[in-house]
Amino acid sequence: MDLFSGLIHGFSVALTPMNLLFGFLGAVIGTIVGILPGLGPLGAMALLLSLTYGFDPTAGMILFAGIYFGAMYGGSTTSILLNIPGEAASVITVIEGYQMARRGRAGAALAVAAVGSFVAGTISLIGLSFLAPTLAMAALKFGPAEYLAVALVGLVIMSRLTGGNLLKSLLMIALGLALGTVGMETVAGYMRYTFHQPLLAQGIDFLPVAMGLFGISEVLVTAEQTMGKVQLQKVRFRELWPTFVEWKRSFWPMIRGSFIGFFVGLIPGPSPVISTMVSYSVERKLDKHGEFGKGAIEGVAGPEAANNASVGAAYVPLMALGIPFTPAMAVVMAVLLIHGINPGPLLMTEKPDLFWGVIASMYIGNFMLLVFNLPLVGVFANIIRTPLYLLMPIVLVLCLVGVYSVNNSMLDIWLMIGFGLLGYLLRRLKYDLAPLVLALVLGPMMERSFREAMMISRGDLSVFLNRPISGTILAVGAIVLVAPVLIAWIKPLFKRKPAAAA
Amino acid sequence: MKTGSIVFAGLMLAVGLVYGTMALNMPRGSLAYPGPGLFPMAIGVFLVATALGCLLQEILPRRRSKDPEAASLAKQDTPAPEARDVTKTVQLTALMIAYIFLLKPLGFPLAICAFLVLAIRIFGYRKWLPTLAMAAVIAVISYVSFVVWLKVALPLGILEEVLG
Repeated sequence: MDLFSGLIHGFSVALTPMNLLFGFLGAVIGTIVGILPGLGPLGAMALLLSLTYGFDPTAGMILFAGIYFGAMYGGSTTSILLNIPGEAASVITVIEGYQMARRGRAGAALAVAAVGSFVAGTISLIGLSFLAPTLAMAALKFGPAEYLAVALVGLVIMSRLTGGNLLKSLLMIALGLALGTVGMETVAGYMRYTFHQPLLAQGIDFLPVAMGLFGISEVLVTAEQTMGKVQLQKVRFRELWPTFVEWKRSFWPMIRGSFIGFFVGLIPGPSPVISTMVSYSVERKLDKHGEFGKGAIEGVAGPEAANNASVGAAYVPLMALGIPFTPAMAVVMAVLLIHGINPGPLLMTEKPDLFWGVIASMYIGNFMLLVFNLPLVGVFANIIRTPLYLLMPIVLVLCLVGVYSVNNSMLDIWLMIGFGLLGYLLRRLKYDLAPLVLALVLGPMMERSFREAMMISRGDLSVFLNRPISGTILAVGAIVLVAPVLIAWIKPLFKRKPAAAA
Repeated sequence: MKTGSIVFAGLMLAVGLVYGTMALNMPRGSLAYPGPGLFPMAIGVFLVATALGCLLQEILPRRRSKDPEAASLAKQDTPAPEARDVTKTVQLTALMIAYIFLLKPLGFPLAICAFLVLAIRIFGYRKWLPTLAMAAVIAVISYVSFVVWLKVALPLGILEEVLG
């Protein structure tokens, strides 16, 4: 199926009433969690993961795509109106967005953020529509060596990009890989680390881990914070329209933000957050008005476009290779795994309804978000008034019931609480959760690929370096791991030279 | 927070050692036909190495602090450690564990209702009547959506005869 017939087929799937409803629901839920601080798209998806068990997998994927995109729209609302970022990818928007609001241009900032999100979303979806099938076709030639290389290098790049301490990120990867080996091993049926618990034979299920790390621990961290009363600024509908000059100044930042977001989004790591930072610093460098820090509209348009574009890009490795590069994509992949679908390069040909239906639904969802986010922004902003004492217990109830509902297993509740406490502890000790989750998800696949590659090559380790694709990927990984150390080493040498000459 | 980091890294080191030792007892196979123990062994080494690295990083004094000016600057940059109140975390965890134990004997509707009443109070809302009302409403909604609509086999406990 080529691109256009694929997309047309996708729209015929996405436009069925049921799938439209799920897209709409996802967009609404996404906008709401985007606005609510303390509950991001990841937490919401983890909470709803157990519910998708009851739906068709396509509907579940459409729901989650709506949530992810919706959260990027919603996150900007409170950043601009209240100086409170609704989620991590909107932290940068606070800088210029809130300053604009203080100058009475909140409406314009919101409108530019929404339109920028729409433009970027569309550009990144076009990128996804082209890139995912192409990459999937190329990936059909991938053997186990290539899969191992992609997963390994993905983890390395991620540990470099999460910004925290490298050793801590590597420790999280090691812990994730170790947890991934619990259960019956697939080749010989050998029991590993099950401690004679028959329930652990299937391995540690992703659902209680995700709900614990992203649901429970979030509630525990939020419980310790005290939030003051929020003062909401009123935005009148006619104030929403930016002036011609504001449009003109936002146009190029939106386009640049879209491309920055898309390319950053392809890299493993917390791409929505990083893309906003890159876009902000680019716009700041190109600034001609000297307004940065005082409410420059470019600083809203660029980053808000970038975070949406990165969402579309994050789907590329998942849809084409079946490899998630962000924790959010790991949760999205779990929707497929719950239904026994193994995503990979064959997804497009074997499940065209799902592949194209989900991509097409993103175009529709993106449009829906623009249409109801602009006029209803004032209504949505009120959601932040939801008291925490009501919201947080509800989140806990959803966790406690949801985690039980899939396997009817008490062990899953225990696991979820255990991982909730672990997640709480790790957050307090400034460890990043993303490498842990990704290593847990990718670990079993890496082991299988390693063992297959070894069997094919009859124990020759050089197979990973000799095959051109896996060799190149591994080389990139080695450079990423070593380069910062080398640069830090060489830099002082260069700095000292001119001083010595003088 | 420093003690916490040291304890955690030490704990991870212990986990790594136990994990690695257990991997040694698994069939390793050969490189041409790797057994179930080979990959865990590699992970065990990686885990011990990174945990040891984190531990040393916490214990050894930072290089920066040699420079007194930089050290004083760094001190200014890092905000004073907030006096965090862990009471709520402990209370909420205890509450969740209590819920697990009460789920079977008490049944889901009553257990979740009791859970909600206490959870709402832990989050700082103190008026009894609205708390009871909110808890009851959420409990009914979750009962209808999960048990009636999604047909999750949650234990009904002492309400078995009334609802079942």
